[in-house]
Amino acid sequence: MPGPLDGVRVFDLTLWMVGPWASTQLGALGADVIHIEQPSIDPRTLGAGVPPTINGTSIGYMTWNQNKRGLFLDLKSAADRQTAYELLQTCDVFLINMRPGAAERMGVGYEQVKAVNPDIIYTAITGWGEVGPMRDKPGADVQAQYFTGFWSVSGAEGGRPEVYRHMAQIDATTGNVAAQAVLMGLLARKRTGQGQRIHVGMLRAGMALQSGRIAENLSTGALHQPQGSAAFATAPDQALQCQWGDWIGISVTSEDEWQRFAAVMRASEAEVDGIDELATDPRWSTNRDRVARRIELADILQAGFLQRPRHYWMLRLSAAGIPCGYPISFETLQHHAQAIENQYLREVETSGWGNVWTGGAPWEFSTTPARWFGACLPGEHTGEILDELAAQRATADEPTPVIGD
Amino acid sequence: MPGPLDGYRVIEIAEGVAGPHTAMSLGDAGADVIKIEPPQGDRSRGWAPSLNGDSPVFRTLNRSKRGIVLDWSSEQDIETARRLLTQADVAVVDKYGLPPELGWEQLNAPGLVYCAISGFGPRGPWADHPISEIGTQMASEATSSLGNLGEPPVRHGSDIGSVFAANNAIQAICGALYARDDSDPSNPTGGQRVEVSLFGSLIAMRSTLWVALSNPDEWWGFHLDSYVKPPDHGYQCRDLPIYFSLARIRGEAFESLIDELDMAWARDHPDYDMLRTDGAGGAGRYAAELKPLWERGFANFDADQVMEIVERHGGWAFPMHDYERLSQDPQVAAVEAIIDLEQSDGPIMRQVAPPWDFEGTPVSTPTRPSPGLGEHQEEVLTELESLG
Repeated sequence: MPGPLDGVRVFDLTLWMVGPWASTQLGALGADVIHIEQPSIDPRTLGAGVPPTINGTSIGYMTWNQNKRGLFLDLKSAADRQTAYELLQTCDVFLINMRPGAAERMGVGYEQVKAVNPDIIYTAITGWGEVGPMRDKPGADVQAQYFTGFWSVSGAEGGRPEVYRHMAQIDATTGNVAAQAVLMGLLARKRTGQGQRIHVGMLRAGMALQSGRIAENLSTGALHQPQGSAAFATAPDQALQCQWGDWIGISVTSEDEWQRFAAVMRASEAEVDGIDELATDPRWSTNRDRVARRIELADILQAGFLQRPRHYWMLRLSAAGIPCGYPISFETLQHHAQAIENQYLREVETSGWGNVWTGGAPWEFSTTPARWFGACLPGEHTGEILDELAAQRATADEPTPVIGD
Repeated sequence: MPGPLDGYRVIEIAEGVAGPHTAMSLGDAGADVIKIEPPQGDRSRGWAPSLNGDSPVFRTLNRSKRGIVLDWSSEQDIETARRLLTQADVAVVDKYGLPPELGWEQLNAPGLVYCAISGFGPRGPWADHPISEIGTQMASEATSSLGNLGEPPVRHGSDIGSVFAANNAIQAICGALYARDDSDPSNPTGGQRVEVSLFGSLIAMRSTLWVALSNPDEWWGFHLDSYVKPPDHGYQCRDLPIYFSLARIRGEAFESLIDELDMAWARDHPDYDMLRTDGAGGAGRYAAELKPLWERGFANFDADQVMEIVERHGGWAFPMHDYERLSQDPQVAAVEAIIDLEQSDGPIMRQVAPPWDFEGTPVSTPTRPSPGLGEHQEEVLTELESLG
C-alpha cells in the first residue's frame, strides 16, 4: 500500500531549510515532490552552504531534500517558465519560502499560479510574517530562537539563559507547521472543491511551539529563570545523578505517579532522612507544593539516587510506571534497539554523498506506510520529469494557457 | 466561513502536553473536539502556577474543545467512550490509563483514524515507558546541545519533545484522513492506527546533526559545534543581549563599524584579522573566541544602539527577547500572534494564536476556552443518544 499522500504532487520552490523541510515531510507521506533548483546553482551554496560538507556539498542540502525528485528550471527564462506552468497544471500543492514579493517577480505569485491551476493549495512561508516592520528581514533559526524567547528558559540552575546550540529546531518546527497547513488545505479542498492561499511564518510557528511557557508569562507574569534540568510546571521532574556518576531523568506529573514514586523510593532502603515519608509528608502533598519546594525535595531525592546504580532505578521506576530515561550518545543510538526497531534513526543511500545517517519518518501508519529515501542531486530527475510532461502533452486536449510576464 | 477541518469530529483521551496540543490544533482548525477526562481531571490542571484552579498550560492547550468526564472503573462509561470513538473521525490517545477495551484492535471502528502518542514508540525495549519530557530529551541527545561538557544535564525549558510529537501527530492524522477520504471506493483505505512518539520526534528534529556526523569533509560546523562550544548567552550590550551577523560587512564598511562602536583599540589586538573575517554571530567559526572583544565594545552602548549601527552598515541584528519583551514587540502585534480568549469562568486570557493563515478557510481567533471539568457532559451525551 502506498503512502497517505499517494497521487499528490508538490511544486517545491523552496530553499534553505524551512520550506525544504516542509516538502521533505510531504514526500515521506507519499507525495511526489518535485524540488526546483536554478540550473546555474553553485553547488557550494546549496543548503545555504551550511557546514560541514560531504563530498563538497552542504549537509544542509542532503538533510532537507530527502524524499524528493530534483528538477532544474530557470524561472527567468520564458521557455522554462512555460514548462513551470505546464508542470503546475499537474500539481496539487505549491510551496515557496522567499521574502514577500519574490514569487511575483518570478511569475509564480498566487494570482499567476491560480490562473494556471485554480485548485492549487498555494503555501507561502516567511520568517517574520507578511506584514509589520520586520516583514523584509531575513529569518533563520538562530534569529528566531533569540527573538521568540526560545533561548530564555534554558540554562544551568541559577545561570544565564542560553541558546540551543544545535540550530534547526525552529526551522524544522516551521516546516512541520507548513506541512500541516498544506494537509489541512488538501482536506478542505475535498469539502469545498476549492484551492486557496496559505501563509505560515517562523515567528508564529516558533511561538506556537512555546505556547505553554508563553501562556504562563502572559497570564501570571511569571518570567522563568533557567533551572538546569528541572521542569517549571511539575516536580519532581528533572535529572538526578546515580551511583557511579550516571544520570537519569525522572518525571512525576500526577498525584497518582507521586504515590507510586514515593513507594519506589521507600522500597530502595536508601539511607536518607525523609525518604521513607515522601508519601505522607505534608510538604509534598500536591504538585504545586512540590514545585514551590522543588530544591528542598531534589536534595533529598539526589541523596537517595546516589546510593543505587542507574540500572537499579530504571528497573524499579519502569516497573512502577514512572516516566524515566537517560542520556544516549549518537554512537550508541545508532545501535540502540529503541531507535532502530522504530526506524527513528536510519542510514540512507544517496546519489552523491554515499550513505548518510538521518532521522527517519517520525510516524508509523498501520495501512499506508510512510517512506524515507536519500536526498536527490540538484536537477537529478530533470530528464525523467520533462519526459513525463511531454507524454502528457501528447495526450492532452487543451494547450497550456500562456501567462504573460 | 468555517475552518479547514470543519465537519471532522475528534475524541481526545490524553493528558499533559503532547495529546492535548494535538487535539487543540485540530480544534483551532475547525474540528469538533471532545476531550474525555478522568474524574480527577487532566493532570495538567494541577500543574504550576495556579490559574483559577487550573494551570496556564491546561487553559491554553485545551481551548477549542468541549469536555466530558468518564470513569474507567465503570463499564458503562467505557461503553460510552467506545460509542463516541466509533462515531468519530479521529481519536487522539496517550497511554495514561487507557482501558484495554479502547485500544485500536478492540474498537472495531473501520473509519477511525486512531493516533496513539507515546514516549518512546510502539516497539523496542522501552515501548511501555510512559511519556517523559526530560527522559526523551536526554535519550535523544537533545540535552547535549545545552549546558557545559561534564556538568549536570540541562533540559530545554519549553516542552519541545511533546510539541514536536504533537506537530508530527497533526501531520499523521491529516495524512491518514486524506488517505481515507481519497481512496478508490472499490478499494477503500479506511481508517487506521498511526503512532507518534516524543523520542522519535526529537530524533527527527536533530536530523541535520545526524547527517553532519555521517562522514564530513571536516569536523566543523555550527551543528557539530553544539558538542564543544560553551553555552551561548548572546552578545551582552549595556542593557540587554543581542544577536548579530556581519556576514556581508567587509573592508571600509567594517572599519567604519569599528569606529562607530569606539573599538579602535581592537586594531591592535592579535585577533583583529579573525574579527574582520569571521562574520560573527552564533554561527561564526570562532564566535566563542571573539565574543569577548565584541562585548568589550558593546558594553558602552544599549542594545538598540548597537543594532542600529550594525544594520546601518549592512549587517543584521536582532533583539534577544524574554517572553515579556516578546509579547510587547511591535512585530508580534502586527502579525497578531497573541489573542485574547474569554474564559468560561469570566476573565480574558492572553494566549498564543494558531500558527497558520488560511485565506480560503480562515482560522479565526478560537472562541471556545478550555472546558471546566465535565462542562459539556449533558450536551455531548445527549448528542450521542440522538445519533443512536
